Order: sequence, then structure tokens, then C-alpha cells
Amino acid sequence: MSDHPTMPPEDDDMLAAEVALGLVEGEARDAARARMLQDRAFARRVADWQERFVAMTDDIAPVNAPARSRKALMARLFPARRAPLMQRLWVWQGISFAALATVAFLAVPLLQEPTEPAPGEVYATRMAAEDSALELLAVMDMSRGDIALRRVSGAAPEGRVLELWAILPERAPISLGVLPDGDVSRVALPADLAAEAAQITLAITDEPPGGAPGGQATGSVMAIGAVAEL
Amino acid sequence: MEWPLNSDREEIERLIAQVAMGDRAAFETLYDRVSAKLFGVSLRVLDTRAAAEDAMQDTFVKIWNNADRYQANGLSPMTWLITIARNTAIDRLRATRKGHQDIDAPGLELAAPGPNPEQSAVAASEATRLTGCLDGLEADRGAAIRGAYLEGASYADLAERFNVPLNTMRTWLRRGLMSLRECMSI
Repeated sequence: MSDHPTMPPEDDDMLAAEVALGLVEGEARDAARARMLQDRAFARRVADWQERFVAMTDDIAPVNAPARSRKALMARLFPARRAPLMQRLWVWQGISFAALATVAFLAVPLLQEPTEPAPGEVYATRMAAEDSALELLAVMDMSRGDIALRRVSGAAPEGRVLELWAILPERAPISLGVLPDGDVSRVALPADLAAEAAQITLAITDEPPGGAPGGQATGSVMAIGAVAEL
Repeated sequence: MEWPLNSDREEIERLIAQVAMGDRAAFETLYDRVSAKLFGVSLRVLDTRAAAEDAMQDTFVKIWNNADRYQANGLSPMTWLITIARNTAIDRLRATRKGHQDIDAPGLELAAPGPNPEQSAVAASEATRLTGCLDGLEADRGAAIRGAYLEGASYADLAERFNVPLNTMRTWLRRGLMSLRECMSI
């Protein structure tokens, strides 16, 4: 460094103090910064002043920052790296081997955003029951607020319809509506259930056309499954 | 000065070293240990809580990103952390002013080349004398130094505040700094 004049130590120390205070501006500031990287003695002078000046903060009382601040900071530094949806489906443990073989083509039409980098929480279940040929895969996508269903096998008994229910602890089953005909359907998940999504058990009953009278299930449970987070 | 007690100092140094290795748990522990002090400093510099919260978040992002450079800068751990908080808050304050220039965090730049970083020669006992020494200065000079450090006032701001020409302000403040250093090292 030869582009700054050699200064007497006294001036050096004053410059160091000004750097520590933030009083050096413009080109002088850039030069001082560059010098700190090259000149250890000067860098140490600045450090010495920082060490002195910091005592001006001694009588500043600590104040607890709000919890949201901490949360926002951690989310900013460590964004949750969720695996893409397809990847999560592949490692889905609750699914039978037979269903696994078809999950890829099942999943693609169900989950239409395979490029979405970081989907929200996703829950899934395979719904089935003894004495029933009906089997479905259900995927609750919390970022969309809906449930995608894919029928693997079985159908409603003649003259009946299939109705989907959400079952939560200590609550009456909540009807999510009659499933339309066809193998694939999407059903909105009521917003007030989102907070309890992890506890939901999905069930399907057979009901008279138009759905369960009075919102209470009357038929038999043809398929049931508790959701698990993927 | 309450801090750093020796055990605190060692613990915070250890935490910073762990953060430098990318240890998130250590980072969260460090946050829990020092965020209240750093938030207090941010609040002192900035007017609003929202601005102070933002500044403190930026402070901790810098701490996370630069912890590996802490060892080289020769500062005590709390000085390093508080200096980052102070500089970040002042930068934010100055950003609202015309002709803004970042002072950034000079503590981060003390790259002290070479294998043997030197510790700051300023003993904690010396630093604790600062407040008394500042109070012992002619009132205006003490106020000017405090204004620069805690409010981010520039020479131009100070000259206006004390109604003196810029060069006079500079001379004044430098004399104040010299007296300060002398007083503190006794």
C-alpha cells in the first residue's frame, strides 16, 4: 500500500477511531478499509477503538425480541427443505406394494405441480376396509387446501353413492361431500380443519343418492385410512 | 460492565466457533444468549421496533455468514457481536438519509492476515472506564462522540448540530478522542 501517505502514529490512531465510529466517508473510507486488510497494526488500532467504544452500550438494557423475530430469522436462514412431492410419495410407507407399483401414474394426475419446488405439508393415506373391494389413495395438499383422491379398485354399490368424511378425535364425523363419478377427484378441505390435518382419518361410506340425510352417516364404512405426513 | 464475565466470554467464543462450522443448534443457543442485548442496542439506535427487529435479523444473518472470520479479528466476542449489531442498525438509520454509505460491520473486515491474529490490546478494565472518561470530557466533545457512535451522526451532522464549521468539528472530535484514550489508559 503506497497510495496513502505515511502518517504519524498519532494520526493513524485518530483515523482508526474515526473508522470505528463510522466517520470516515467516501474514498477515504474505501482506502481505510483496504488498509485494514493489509496493515495489521492499523486493523488492530481499529479493533482497539471498537473495544473501547462498545462500552457505550453497557448501560443499554437487554430487551427480549418478540418470538416472531426468532422464527422469521430461522426461516430466513434455514428454509425448510422439503423433498419434492413425488419423492415423498415414493417413500410413502403406508402404501401397499401393489399400490406402490401404480403410484407414479396415480400421482401424476393427482399432483399437477411436480415442478413446485417446496410444497407445503402433505398428508396421505391409503383407504380400504375389510369386506370391501373399495380402495383409494388420498393425498391432502395443505398448500392447496384440498384432498386429491384416486380410486384404485371397487365402486359404490348399485343405487348408492360414496361420501367422504373427515374423522377427528372427539368430534362428530364431518362430511366432505359426495364423491363424483370417476376415478380421480378433488375435494376441498374445510379451512377450519387445516390446523388438525395431521389427526384426520378419512373414511368413505355408502349413502343414498344425494348424500347422507341430515349430515349423518347411515351406510357402512367402505374404506378408511388415517393420514400420515409425507 | 456486566459482560462479558470470563465464563460467558468462553461460552460465547465456543458458540461462535461452532456457528462457524455451520452448527445450527449452536446458532440458536447463541441467539438465545445474546439477542436481548443486541436487540436493546438496535432499539437504542433505531426509532421503531419494526426497524430494530429487521436490523437484528440482518445482524444475525451476518453473524451466521461471518462467524468463521471471528477468530481472525482480535475482538472479544461480545464486542464483535455488539459492533455488528450497532453498525447494522446505523447503516439502516443512514439508509434513510441522503448520500448514504454503508459503514457495514468493520469487525468483519479485520481479516488480520497471518497465522497469529492479535488480540485487541484494550483490556476490559480499560474499556469499562470509557463512560467515566466520556463524562469527563468537555460536554460537547463527549456528546459528539456519543452522537457518532450511538446515532450514526456524520461530521457534517455534528457540525450542524454544534453549529461549527466542519473542520472545527473534526479538530474538536479528534481532541476529544485523544483525551479519551489518555483517560482510559491511565
